[in-house]
Amino acid sequence: MNLWLPKSAAGKRWLGLAPSYFIIGIFMLVPMVIMGVFSFLEPNPYGGVKPVGSLAAYVKLFFEYDLEDNLVFNPGYINIIFRSFQLSFGATLLCLVFGFPVAYYITLQPENRRNFYIYLITIPFWTNLLIRTFAWIIILGRGGVIETPLLAAGIIEDSLRMMYTDGAIAIGLTYSYLPLMVLPIYASLEKLDFRLLEAASDLYASRLEVMTKVVIPLCKPGIIAGCILVFIPCLGAFIAPNLLGGGKNLMLGSLVQFQFASARNWPFGAALSMLLLSAVVIMLIFYARAASKRASMEGSD
Amino acid sequence: MIAAIDIRGVTKVYNPASNQPVKALDNVSLTINDNEFFTLLGPSGCGKTTLLRLIAGFEQVSGGAIMLFDEEIVNLEPNQRPINTVFQHYALFPHMTVADNVAFGLERLRKPRSEIDATVERVLTLVKMKELGDRRPNQLSGGQQQRVALARALAPSPKVLLLDEPLSALDLKLRQAMREELKQLQKETGITFVFVTHDQEEALAMSDRIAVMSNGEVQQIGGPTDIYEHPVNRFVADFIGDTNFLDGEIVSFDDDLVTCRIGVQSMFEAENSGGHSIGDKVTLFLRPEKITLSPPDQASNVKTRPGKVANIVYLGNQTAYTLDMGDGIELTAQARPREDGKLPFAMGDSLAVGFSARALRVLAQ
Ligand SMILES: Nc1ncnc2c1ncn2[C@@H]1O[C@H](COP(=O)(O)OP(=O)(O)O)[C@@H](O)[C@H]1O
Ligand SMILES: [Mg+2]
Repeated sequence: MNLWLPKSAAGKRWLGLAPSYFIIGIFMLVPMVIMGVFSFLEPNPYGGVKPVGSLAAYVKLFFEYDLEDNLVFNPGYINIIFRSFQLSFGATLLCLVFGFPVAYYITLQPENRRNFYIYLITIPFWTNLLIRTFAWIIILGRGGVIETPLLAAGIIEDSLRMMYTDGAIAIGLTYSYLPLMVLPIYASLEKLDFRLLEAASDLYASRLEVMTKVVIPLCKPGIIAGCILVFIPCLGAFIAPNLLGGGKNLMLGSLVQFQFASARNWPFGAALSMLLLSAVVIMLIFYARAASKRASMEGSD
Repeated sequence: MIAAIDIRGVTKVYNPASNQPVKALDNVSLTINDNEFFTLLGPSGCGKTTLLRLIAGFEQVSGGAIMLFDEEIVNLEPNQRPINTVFQHYALFPHMTVADNVAFGLERLRKPRSEIDATVERVLTLVKMKELGDRRPNQLSGGQQQRVALARALAPSPKVLLLDEPLSALDLKLRQAMREELKQLQKETGITFVFVTHDQEEALAMSDRIAVMSNGEVQQIGGPTDIYEHPVNRFVADFIGDTNFLDGEIVSFDDDLVTCRIGVQSMFEAENSGGHSIGDKVTLFLRPEKITLSPPDQASNVKTRPGKVANIVYLGNQTAYTLDMGDGIELTAQARPREDGKLPFAMGDSLAVGFSARALRVLAQ
């Protein structure tokens, strides 16, 4: 008999789950706690933190010191945060617009071909995101793949100046995270009973109404999951903003990265991260609320 | 009279371009009258669902025409055809309440809200589901889902209602109750029903007319008694009910009766359906319930033959007896149990087996 094994069912369950608790603890909670603690410390000018408590990092989010050392409101960082949300929202929308038809198309394919298409969707993940984003510089940039033929054909006379714009960032983000939109939508579409589409058209629904009244409502969980999976990493992204936005159109992610790598203000970077984290958590709570309300409304399947 | 649906030489081939084309329907022609309960009956895979899907518009015909009240419909989309379907697996919208499901068709037809609400209530009352309008489909039993599917298809008042084996997923008692209700519903609404089933009993009990199908072809169209009593071929006779088949050769005939030799020397008389000549190879068929069994000493005035009980299958309200008639001939007959519940005959009993010549019919080979 193993006397040290827990006897109660609850104890046994805890033991079974222990490895996952351990992994979540090591790889998620501990780093988060460290970040939280760092955000309340003073920066060390040579990198890292000084073990001195301070709220300076959070103050810096909203205020700055003017020439006379007065604390005045500084909308600079708030604007960057606001812009980040805007751009992430735009990129998420673009991902949805392009991703949904792709997922739908794959679902309509014969079963053996579907897996092949899904495999194709995941191929970009095999190459480093940095390299793939560089490719966009070649596509969008001055004298790039898009401009050169248009210039040669005389359709445009000057550079389109597509690089280093919000548009370029949005394209880069959309490109980076499109698979994260396609996969969950595909997963929910795959479970869709296609006989329901026939039933709808039998009941006088046009093609558009079949989509809006049956397909989209039924794969809403997949759409929402896809939006969350795209929106959250967009908020924290720094490769696309840095490379395609030229670093002058900062986003939250690049700002954080900048604080740690260049500005040597770890507490401020940590405070920004905590802000990002709380925004994400609040959004997820809303989503969970809505999902559980819907689940209780529809009953358990 | 204009036919509700006129199927004219319809052929359907699935995957025509592939190396394995499937001919699901072969030159099918049939006419379904207005206000009729019409049944497509046949074994699984004979093309019933295919025909229904062609009428609904989910599949395209490979050849032929389909007329709905004299109007060609093969080029219309499903949502342009005033035809509704009750699907085999109901296909209720899981994200909508029962009432929303029923209202779906009316909303797509842009009916005014007041009319939609009134119709939904009326139709749900018709199928006895008025109290459950706020439920979701997954909160309903199979029988209730069946009713909602029916209400949803009836609500837009289609010109024709298609039902694809709607009762097959229900248990026996419910199935029998629903037979009555469906028949009643068809009479009340006056809508033409095209009902698909592989259950011959269901078809006989409900239909005004039946089309018996096999291998993508229509074998026979007729009323229930036509089909049961006067099947045109061996397939129909065999598929509808239990039957004794006797293969033999005509040796003589007069105006009323033909005489056939079955086995080596047994002579059987059967109704003369005309067009036979001496020496024809024919099949006679005889329904088990037309055979009377009695102990040899109690034989009544009907002409009887001796037979011996070779096998017994107890069925509750009936018992099926396989009788050895000698000369290599076996017949199956039925007998009711006695009042005390005991079986009337035992294994090996010698019996007087009686049937009239009018009960025996000649089938085309
Ligand atoms: N979508 C399809 N593709 C290929 N063959 C099909 C398809 N649907 C039905 N069939 C074939 O057509 C024949 C008739 O099928 P069906 O109409 O479903 O028969 P039933 O409803 O009488 O059981 C069957 O042999 C079936 O395998
Ligand atoms: Mg079928």
